[in-house]
Amino acid sequence: MVKGKISLNENGVEDTVNIHDDVETIKSKKRKAALTWYIFLLPSFLGILLFMVYPIVESFRLSFFRSNGTIETFIGFSNFQLVLTSKTFWNTVWNTFFIGFFQIFLTIPLGFIFASLINSIRRGQNFFKVVYFLPNVTSIVAAAMIFQFVLHPEMGVVNYALDAIGLPTSTWFSDPSTSKWGVILLAVWHWIGFVIIICLANLQAISPEMYEAAKIDGASGLQQWLFITIPNMSGTFAFLLITGWIGSLQRFNEVYVLGGPNGSPARSIQTMGAFIYERGFTGFEFGIASAATYIMFVIILIFTFINLKVSKMQL
Amino acid sequence: MDQKTSERISNSVKFIVLLVCGILLMMPFIWMVSVGFDRTANITMPFPPRLIPETISSFNFGIVFENGRLIQSYINSGIVTTCSVFLQVSASLLAGYAFSKGTFKYKRLLFVLVLCTLMIPMEPRLIPLYTLFNSVGLLNSFWPLILPTVINGMLIFLCKQFFDQLPGTLREAAQIDGAGEFRIFFTVYLPLAGPIAATMVILSFIWSWNDFMWPLVVLNNQDLHTVPLYLASFSLENGTSLGGLTMALATVSILPIVVLYLFLQRYIIQSIALSGVKGE
Repeated sequence: MVKGKISLNENGVEDTVNIHDDVETIKSKKRKAALTWYIFLLPSFLGILLFMVYPIVESFRLSFFRSNGTIETFIGFSNFQLVLTSKTFWNTVWNTFFIGFFQIFLTIPLGFIFASLINSIRRGQNFFKVVYFLPNVTSIVAAAMIFQFVLHPEMGVVNYALDAIGLPTSTWFSDPSTSKWGVILLAVWHWIGFVIIICLANLQAISPEMYEAAKIDGASGLQQWLFITIPNMSGTFAFLLITGWIGSLQRFNEVYVLGGPNGSPARSIQTMGAFIYERGFTGFEFGIASAATYIMFVIILIFTFINLKVSKMQL
Repeated sequence: MDQKTSERISNSVKFIVLLVCGILLMMPFIWMVSVGFDRTANITMPFPPRLIPETISSFNFGIVFENGRLIQSYINSGIVTTCSVFLQVSASLLAGYAFSKGTFKYKRLLFVLVLCTLMIPMEPRLIPLYTLFNSVGLLNSFWPLILPTVINGMLIFLCKQFFDQLPGTLREAAQIDGAGEFRIFFTVYLPLAGPIAATMVILSFIWSWNDFMWPLVVLNNQDLHTVPLYLASFSLENGTSLGGLTMALATVSILPIVVLYLFLQRYIIQSIALSGVKGE
């Protein structure tokens, strides 16, 4: 439209007929340009429709049916009722939250301390970064396989070392009362590198002027850490808390390797994800599994919302 | 004691603490390699644990390679990962660029929709995707592992952030020369996108290589198993009975990734940090 006006001024009064044409071509050009942009988005939005929107809707529909993939009968809310009254399901919820809680509240403080130490030394920063991040690049499946031996009650190194320094040993994965701690140890070992890297990146973003001002006021190293570093890291902690919980609530890979789909011993390490896998793909009860995924989805959404509120994060 | 010496002492203490904890953290790997080279470890694990095996032998590694299934799973993982990375990064570059520089209707709304996909976990999608691929007869092929990776909200987000930092004046100059949107993208902006493309490739590679639950659902055929699937099936079959063999297998499966990581560590660590810092 603006261009049309300019051409009017340039061409004078005689060319009024052309203005209409100009406006027309500009309009069609704009439409064509907009169309081009939609072509840019085409692959992604085909993906969203086919692999996100459709499955979410279909899974919602399925949760009201009894289905094994071929035969379907509508049964209303029965699947939800069955899952919500199932002791096995609530046990998996408990396991998931238990493992997640200790993983997160052990790893974030530990990782932050290590990151602060690495950040404060003069030489070897990069070396330690590489070493501490190494567990995180190995796949959790391979890590679980190694940990089965590392935490073996009779021949594992951890129990040997604990015994050697006079500490009590544990039965780890061989007993339902301790198996969750084995998973927690594995999860901490695997996640700590990620926490350290994220903390380091954000530690280095704190402006050095603050520390200089504090030094002039006579603050000690520890005081600077407590009153400048930690408050400045609250956004990072919130980020780690939220991503940590989202990841923990979907835990599946390592517990599947360690305990199979039913989280043995005695379902002590079966997570919500494993419950869904067991019902869906070993029992082929698609309706029940779909209802369980929706319940899990709602749990994740509510819990993420609470985390956002607690950490007062602005998204 | 003056300030300099006390600083030096605290520096050394910190260094030693980090070193000791680092060795503890590496302990599972060190033990893994040691047991893998132990000839007798398949009958009983060496106890008390020792760093250097009594009889060093490559027996376990020989079996791992002779068996051939690990090599096959490597090839499978390689095919799947290469295709996924290519598809995911291309689609995300196109979409990220459009969301940054494009002018079209519903831009904000569509971008919010992309961000919403970040909150959707895999689990609710498992069964419908399984029946979808089953109905078109593509189960037990690599297609179900590759095609759904086309959409990745995180990569689109990172990519948009990157293009937002590039000036729009570059576009205007090319537009005056009469270049179309695609030409502008491919000749002006894409050549500048090297750093973010590298980050996207690294993240996408890690996600695709380690993907487990979805491949487990769609691949029943052992010949198509990816590396994590093969490891899991081996581990579930043998439990803690074949120590030496399991550890040799774990070593061989981890080694290439570790070597790659050591070569690219700066870029990998940067990429991970970027995904976290920007995620804030």
